[in-house]
Amino acid sequence: MPEPRVFRVDDPPVTRSSSPPPAVLVAFLAALCAGIAGTLASGAMAWIAIGAVALGGAYFASRTAAQPPRIGTDLGRVRRLMLLLDRGGSTDAKRPPEFTDEWAELYDKVNRLAMEAKSGAGSGPTLEKFRNQAEQAAALLREGKDPLVEVPELRAGPLLPLLEGVKGSASLPLVSHMSLGDEEELIGAGEALPPDWPKPSAHAASGPGLDLPELETGLQDLVKEIESLRGTLAGSANGEASSGADDPALRTPAQLVDAVVLTAADGIEDLAAGLMRANELASVAERVTNRATLLALNAALEATRSGSEAFAAIAEETRRLAEFAREATDTISRLSSEIEYKVGETITAIHATSEHAKTSLAQLGGTAPVPVSPSARKARVQIVRLLDRTRELLRRLGFSEGARSRTSESPNSTQDDVENAAPPADKSPTEGMLLIEGLKPGAHLES
Amino acid sequence: MNLGTRGALTFRLGDYCFAVRVEEAGGVLDADRLAQLPGVCDPVAGVAAFRGEMVPVVDLAQYLGIESAATHRYALVLYRGPDRFALLVPEIPKLIPGRDLREAPPTDTDSELGDLFESVLENDQDQFHCLNYWRIFETIIPPASPSPGRNPSTERGN
Repeated sequence: MPEPRVFRVDDPPVTRSSSPPPAVLVAFLAALCAGIAGTLASGAMAWIAIGAVALGGAYFASRTAAQPPRIGTDLGRVRRLMLLLDRGGSTDAKRPPEFTDEWAELYDKVNRLAMEAKSGAGSGPTLEKFRNQAEQAAALLREGKDPLVEVPELRAGPLLPLLEGVKGSASLPLVSHMSLGDEEELIGAGEALPPDWPKPSAHAASGPGLDLPELETGLQDLVKEIESLRGTLAGSANGEASSGADDPALRTPAQLVDAVVLTAADGIEDLAAGLMRANELASVAERVTNRATLLALNAALEATRSGSEAFAAIAEETRRLAEFAREATDTISRLSSEIEYKVGETITAIHATSEHAKTSLAQLGGTAPVPVSPSARKARVQIVRLLDRTRELLRRLGFSEGARSRTSESPNSTQDDVENAAPPADKSPTEGMLLIEGLKPGAHLES
Repeated sequence: MNLGTRGALTFRLGDYCFAVRVEEAGGVLDADRLAQLPGVCDPVAGVAAFRGEMVPVVDLAQYLGIESAATHRYALVLYRGPDRFALLVPEIPKLIPGRDLREAPPTDTDSELGDLFESVLENDQDQFHCLNYWRIFETIIPPASPSPGRNPSTERGN
């Protein structure tokens, strides 16, 4: 990309390729016309007329030779107006000397619009429209085209006299493309720039159109959300200290171990109670089995004593039934005893493990992660959202990544505060994906 | 070999196995809850209800001086005519048919029992001592002398 040409006030004036006629030639032509007229009409009046014509021609010729080219002066005014527009107007009531007549009126209008846009008095759309027209015209001039022919809108705009003046000088650079030092020199070394006025950039000059009311609304919403976030953080700091004991997320690791052990012990105790009930039922079944066994024995005894085959067969079936019931009862009792024994072992192991875990946690000391309240997590998510929204607003304001990095160097920058917010120590993987996007480790969150 | 019995109810008491011929056994019942009697000697454990009658229960282990740690006991009812009493045994007796039993010679232990010893039966695994259980009962509770107007044969119903 070629470097823009540096423009200076003391540069030789730019002239057209066809120079104006010299004064001698004009005077000669005027005298020739006077001679012809004198030849045609003799007399004193005729000679007077001849002399007047000759004097007028000489005067005209002298004026033509003394004045600088008009196109060079107009181009300088245009450049000063563009610079004035870029700088947001000038507070100096003294108007530059080269702005006279319609140029003075245009200078005042541009200065007023720039000042109103800077103060946010509602002239943003007008100024933006003016800027767009100027940029459009400059682009056409760079391409060697006539803006008044290419864009009919410019013929009804405030730039009409300027464009008529610069017609034919499309190859010259515009003020916006000049280097910063030359702009200072052009507008005057003694004029101080507003400290908070943003520096113009190439991205801003060629970026999308700005909608200042919408941006203002977005910034106001941003401020409200930041206030809400501040309130949330304050509430989490004040109110959740007392409710932390009831919140499982805020318990210490030792308390969590105790809670797990208590829960497991409660469950196993319920299981042990169920086993006791099962044992009671098993003892009842054992008594029934004993009764059945006694019944079978008495039946067999009577059958043996009486010698009845039929009675003996019934007694034998009864005995088998009682024996089967006894085997089942014995199995139930054995399994119940085994389960009860294992439950006791499990309870002992859980208590031993919990003690070991608590001892290990105590040895670890402060390396354990600090629990974070749900409201703090919610606040962090809000910070990420605000960060994204701020970036979107900054992008729409025309700040590139380089400009944002310059802005973040400011000590009072809200974006800097948000970007430097500390990441959570116990963020989940999903939270981490969100927070890594905009948070830098090791910084602090002032808001 | 004719043993004179169709079978025997056997049970273990300490290190010994005892047998009761089925012709003497009236039945077996659960002795979990026995009714205690006042003023009786130690071998009498109480009374039990057997088929609508009150039956005195004698602790055989205590009578013979044999240690028994059983927590659940059963009563083996013996009868002789109209008289019945029960032996307190630590386990449910087993019925062994007469075809599986045979007579065995007495041992030194049987000689120590004196007139309580009756016979020894055995199968393929164990030897069972048959005692004169009624003599044990009569040593504890002597039979009352028959009253003048009482006919024992009529009371037994035989």
